[in-house]
Amino acid sequence: MSPRYVIGKLGGSLATLLFVVVFNFFLFRIVATDPVANLFRGRNLTDAQRDELIHEFGLDGSTLHQFWAYVQQTASLNLGRSYSTNEPVMSEILDAAPATIWLVGVSAILSAVIGVAIGIVAGWRRRSKTDYAATTFTMTTYSMPDFWLGMLLLSLFAVSLGWFPVGGIEDPTSTATGPALWADQAYHMFLPALTLTLGYLGEYTLVMRSSLLDTMREDFLVLARAKGLRDVVVRNRHAVPNALLPVVTLAAINFGFVLSGAIAVEAIFSWPGLGLATYDAINGPDLPMLQGLFLVFSASVIVFNLFADLVYAWLDPRVRQA
Amino acid sequence: MKAIGGLFVAAVLAAAIVALPGGSTASGQDGGKNVLTIGMTQGIDSMNPVRGVTVAAFEAWNMVYPTLTDKAAKDFGVIPGLATKWKGSDDGKTWTYTLRPGMKWSDGQALTAEDVAYTVNRSRDEAWLNHASTTGNLTATATSPTEVVIKSKVPDPKLPTMDVYIVPKHVYEKYDAKAITKWNGQTDVAGGPYSLAEFKKGQFARFTANPNFWGGKPAIDEVVIRKFNNADAMVAALKRGEIDFVQNVPEGQYLNLQKDPDFVTLEGRQGGFDEFAINMGDGLKKPHPALLDPKVREAIAHAIDKQTIVDRVLRGIGEPAEAVSPSANPDWTPDIPEDQRFDFDLEKSKQILDDAGYKDTDGDGIREMPGGGQPLKFRYAVRSESDPSPRIAEFITGWLKEIGIATTQKTYDDGQLTEVIGKGDYDMFVWGWTPYVDPDPMLSYFTCDQVSSDPDDPTNYYNDASLCDPEYDKLYKAQKIELDPDKRMEIVHEMLTRFYSHAGYLPLYTQGDLQAYRKDRFTGWQKQPDGIGPVLFSNTSPSYMSLKRASATSSDAAGSGDGGGDGGGGSGLIIAIVAVGVAGAVGLVWARSRRGSADERE
Repeated sequence: MSPRYVIGKLGGSLATLLFVVVFNFFLFRIVATDPVANLFRGRNLTDAQRDELIHEFGLDGSTLHQFWAYVQQTASLNLGRSYSTNEPVMSEILDAAPATIWLVGVSAILSAVIGVAIGIVAGWRRRSKTDYAATTFTMTTYSMPDFWLGMLLLSLFAVSLGWFPVGGIEDPTSTATGPALWADQAYHMFLPALTLTLGYLGEYTLVMRSSLLDTMREDFLVLARAKGLRDVVVRNRHAVPNALLPVVTLAAINFGFVLSGAIAVEAIFSWPGLGLATYDAINGPDLPMLQGLFLVFSASVIVFNLFADLVYAWLDPRVRQA
Repeated sequence: MKAIGGLFVAAVLAAAIVALPGGSTASGQDGGKNVLTIGMTQGIDSMNPVRGVTVAAFEAWNMVYPTLTDKAAKDFGVIPGLATKWKGSDDGKTWTYTLRPGMKWSDGQALTAEDVAYTVNRSRDEAWLNHASTTGNLTATATSPTEVVIKSKVPDPKLPTMDVYIVPKHVYEKYDAKAITKWNGQTDVAGGPYSLAEFKKGQFARFTANPNFWGGKPAIDEVVIRKFNNADAMVAALKRGEIDFVQNVPEGQYLNLQKDPDFVTLEGRQGGFDEFAINMGDGLKKPHPALLDPKVREAIAHAIDKQTIVDRVLRGIGEPAEAVSPSANPDWTPDIPEDQRFDFDLEKSKQILDDAGYKDTDGDGIREMPGGGQPLKFRYAVRSESDPSPRIAEFITGWLKEIGIATTQKTYDDGQLTEVIGKGDYDMFVWGWTPYVDPDPMLSYFTCDQVSSDPDDPTNYYNDASLCDPEYDKLYKAQKIELDPDKRMEIVHEMLTRFYSHAGYLPLYTQGDLQAYRKDRFTGWQKQPDGIGPVLFSNTSPSYMSLKRASATSSDAAGSGDGGGDGGGGSGLIIAIVAVGVAGAVGLVWARSRRGSADERE
C-alpha cells in the first residue's frame, strides 16, 4: 500500500469529519426554537434565572460567536451539556455506549458469521431447495422493518410464551453482581439481539451468495477441480476466500453503524443504549445531546469506512494500484 | 464452514431452549422480599428536588423526603407528618409546629426542627425550583429540637399545610448554592418511608423500606420504579407479572385490561381537564372581531357537544366538565346553575347569532359580521402533541359549520402554540391543565397580570384565555388572604362561575391518569382523593404506607413459583453459555481436524 494511498484516504476521512462538524451545528440551528422556554414551560423563571440558563446552554451571542464556541468545545471533545439532564453530553454518551456496543456488536458478528455461512451454502448449491429456502428466509427477515420484527418477536416470545423479559437490560429487583448479573443481562439481550441479527442476515447472505457465484465462474476453480480436489476443499480453500472480499467491505460499513444502528429496536425493548438516548433526545428535543450523538455516529461511520478502504486495499492488490 | 454455520444456529436455538424454564420472572415476591414494581414511560429526571421536574421524580421524592404536615387520602386535608400539632397566631401569619420526639433519618442521624428550619430558609434564599412557591414568604426558626416557628410575610391561607420536602441538613450542607443545582441528588439518606438503594438513569430506581420512618417501617420491603420506552411492552410486563402496577396505560390497552378479571383498572382523577379556549382579545393582538362579542362566544359554546367528544374521541374515558377545576380536590369546583350552562343546542346557537345580527348575506353558508363584510372565519390551532386534539377539532369545526361559522386549521407543536397564543395569532384552540391541591396557582393564571403583554417575550404568560377581568382580579386577591376555609371556597366558586360566564374558556372534559394493577399481589390501595383519585402518583401517594402483600392464596403460590423460576433463569443461562462455548470448541476442533486431513490429501 503506497503512503500516498493511505494519506489520500486519511485526508478524505478528515475532510468528511470536518464537514459533519460544521453541518451538525447548522442542522440543529434550523429546527431550534427557544430551548429554555421549551424546557421550563409552565414554570415561573425570573429573568436572571433565564439569562443564566441561556448562558449556560451557550445560546447567547451571535450565531458566529456560538459557532466559534462550538468548534472550540468540540475540538476539546467537550460536546456541551444535555438540556434535559444537565450532565455533560460526553459522559451521557459514554454511559449509554456500552449497552449499545454489546447489543449491536454481538448482533453484527452473529449476523455476519451466520449470514456468510448461509450465503456459502446457498451459492454453492444454487437453485437447490436449500438455496431457495435460505434466500427466501433471509430476504423475508431482511425486508421486515426492524421495529415490526421486534414487536413480533416481543409479543410472541415475551408476551404469549413468556420466555423472555419484555424489556430493559437487567432485572431491577435483583441485586446480583458478577457472572449472575452478566447472565441476567445476556438473557435480557436475547430478543433485541435476535431481532437485529435476523434483520442484518439477509444482506450478508445475498452478497456472499452472489460473490461466490461470480467466483465459481473463474478459471482457477476449474483448475482446482481438474486437480481432483474434493468439493469441500475447492469451496473452502479456493472459492470462499476469494469471494469474501465484498463481504469485508459490507461488514466494515455495517460495523460503522454499530453505534447508531438500533434506535428503533432499543426503543421497543427499552434497551438503555445510544439508540434510546437518541429517541429520548428527539422527544425532548435535547439539541446538544442530538448534536453530540450525531457527531459520534458520523465519526464511527467515517472511521470504519476508512478502515474498510485500507483493509480492502491490503487484501486486494488491484485496488491500491488503481 | 457449513458445519460451523449450522453450529451457530444450533447454539442460538439451544440458548433459547435452555433459557426456557427461567422465562417468567416475577416481581411482587422475590426471594421472600415484598417488592412493588411500578412501570411507567416517564423517567426520573433527577433525584434532586432542587433540579428535577418530572412526575416520576415527584413520586420518588414522596417516598424519600418527609413533610412537616401530611395530606389526608380522603380530601388532602392537613394531617400530622413530622409535626403532630400546630397552632396559629390570631393574624394567621405565625404558626408553631410541634414535632415528634426522637425522630431519625435513615442513616441514624437525628431528624429535628433544625432540618425543617434549614430547608425552609435555604430554599427561600436560593429560590429552589420546587420549594420556593411555598417558602418564598416564609421564615422558620427552630426554637427547640421538637419545635419550629414559621412566620409568613403575608396572610397565607395555605398554612398550616407545609408540604415541601424536608431535606437532611447534614447531607445538603455539603453542597453550596451553585453545587446544589448540579448535584444528582442520589443519597440513601431518607426521612420518608423509603430510601434510595439503586439508581440506573433511564432504567429504574429501587427503594428499600426505611426502618427509621416516623410512621414505622412500611409493609412492603422494596419499591421499584421502572421506565419503559414502549407502552405496549409495559402492559405486557404487567400481564406476565414482571411488574405490579402501570402508570398511564395506553387507551386501547386500558379498555382491554378493563375486561380482564385479574386486573383492576382505574381512571385516577385529580382535576385535570382539557378546555376549548377562545381568544377574548386582551393581549398582544386582536382576534377576529366577532369573538369580542360575548354573544358569538355563547353561540359557539352552545354548539359543542361534550358528551359526544367523550364518547367518540375519548372512547368513554373521561367525563364532560363545566367549570374550571382549580384543585385536585373536587370541592373547589363550583356547580354551574342549570340556567347559566351552555348546553349543546345548535338551534339555540343559530338563534343567538341571528338575533345579534350575524347573518349569511351572500348565501355561501357562512355568516358575516352585522351589516355584511368580514365573514365569520376563525383560526383554529390544533396541537400536534396531543392525540385527541385533531379529532376534537374535526367534531368542533363540524358543529361550527352547521351554525354558519367557518374555520381554518393549523397544527402546532406545544412550543410553537405557546408562542402563537402569547402573540395573539389565534382564534381558538384546545389544551389542558392539571391543577395543584391548593387552588391558588390555577386561579392566578387567569388574572390580568398573566395576560401576555411583551411582544419581545411572547412566552412569558399564563393567561391563555387572553382575558383581563378586573372583577375576577379583585376576587382573586380576596381569596388569597381569606383565612377562613369555607369563606375562601365561596369566593373561589364565585370567581369561577364568573369566569365561566364569559363563554370563552370552556372545559370540555375531566380526565385522569389511566392506571392498572394486578389483583393477586397487593391489597390496601388507597385513592387520593377518595373515590375518584389515582392510587399512586396521587400527591402524597398514601398507598405506599397502606399496601400489604395479598394474603396466601393460589395466586400467591404461583407468585413464589415464579420466584423460583427466576433463579432457574440465571442458572439456565449459564448452562446455555457454557453449552455454546463447548459446542463452539468442539466444532472448531472438528473443523480443524477435517481441514488437516484434507490438506494431507491435497
